[in-house]
Amino acid sequence: MASARLGAPGDLSEREREAVEALLYQLADDEFVVADRYTDWQCQGPTLEADIAIANIAQDELGHARLWYDLLQDFGYEETELIWEREAEEFRHATLCEQSFESGDWADAVVRSYFYDVAEFLQVEALAETSYPRIADRIEKVNGEEHYHREHAQNWLERLCEDAEGTRRVQAAVDDLYPYALTLFEPTAKEDDIVELGIRPTPLAQLREEWYDLTGAFLDGLGVSVPDREALDDLVAEETGRDGSHTDDWQRQYNELTYTYRMLDRTEARRLMADPDEV
Amino acid sequence: MIFEVFRQEQRKDYHVHVGNVHAPDREMARMYAQVMHARRKPAHSLWVVPKEEIAEVDSDDEGVSMGGLTQKEYRWATNYNTDETFAEEIEASQREQEEAERGREEAEAND
Repeated sequence: MASARLGAPGDLSEREREAVEALLYQLADDEFVVADRYTDWQCQGPTLEADIAIANIAQDELGHARLWYDLLQDFGYEETELIWEREAEEFRHATLCEQSFESGDWADAVVRSYFYDVAEFLQVEALAETSYPRIADRIEKVNGEEHYHREHAQNWLERLCEDAEGTRRVQAAVDDLYPYALTLFEPTAKEDDIVELGIRPTPLAQLREEWYDLTGAFLDGLGVSVPDREALDDLVAEETGRDGSHTDDWQRQYNELTYTYRMLDRTEARRLMADPDEV
Repeated sequence: MIFEVFRQEQRKDYHVHVGNVHAPDREMARMYAQVMHARRKPAHSLWVVPKEEIAEVDSDDEGVSMGGLTQKEYRWATNYNTDETFAEEIEASQREQEEAERGREEAEAND
């Protein structure tokens, strides 16, 4: 049932290329936007160690975003077009990534990273079987860092749920974020092709089931409840991000993100690091 | 709680103290120690030790003498200046001994 291996970037048919691009935008934008949100916690974490840990995770996710944006550059795009000059509504990240944090609500940061990292872990696992060699080459690198992210979130959840007040905060964050977390599994317009061509052989719908089982069992063990499986379809946030629809938080984040680029009238992005293919 | 962190860069190296982390318990301390001292640096192993578990002997403690009270610098090899002139002296002394040795051998042979 394994699909035929796809060729090099320049050898793809139009259908293959569009599907690969759709998947890469989804992957890269998720990582980029969630990483930028984590940096809101820089110098704001509950302890110095917590601060450094989340900054570290943000740095990892930015690194992953680079790996995926770089594969889009195979198709001739420039970094400026992919990020700094791209319209806000062209971004395809799930709206979980863009939600702003209520000031000081560390439970939100922890729950969000937990939801995100379990989803990323499942996605990366599914991509280990990808038919597109350029993605296959990079999966191991991403996977190597994901274990720590899940451990970090789980360690924190366990400790926050040690008393009633902490459990209440976690439950509130779960309730608030759940509709947005589900958008991680909302399909782009190319989902059928992505699966059929084996670029990500496992459909998002199936990943959502696995995610629901994993996160549900863990949270249940901590005394935190999640919605019923039957209720999920109705619960998905209206703005999924995957179709370009976003919440107001994104426009604000986007303005802030691109502010310096616009203010300095930049027309190019400075390259600070070697191309991932060269290291 | 404060945990002191010791990092070993390679298997053959000693664990060297690199700093400390604040954490509520052992598991979090291990995690933070990794983040702060091993994720972006060469490391083979970390020791993460509750500060209060470390037994310390301080030089200010009563009845403790450290570093020696009497003059024993003559024991330190670094106090001996072994420059070229020294080498000449050693060479001369060596030659002297060799000559004496030969003298003894000859005396024995003549017996």
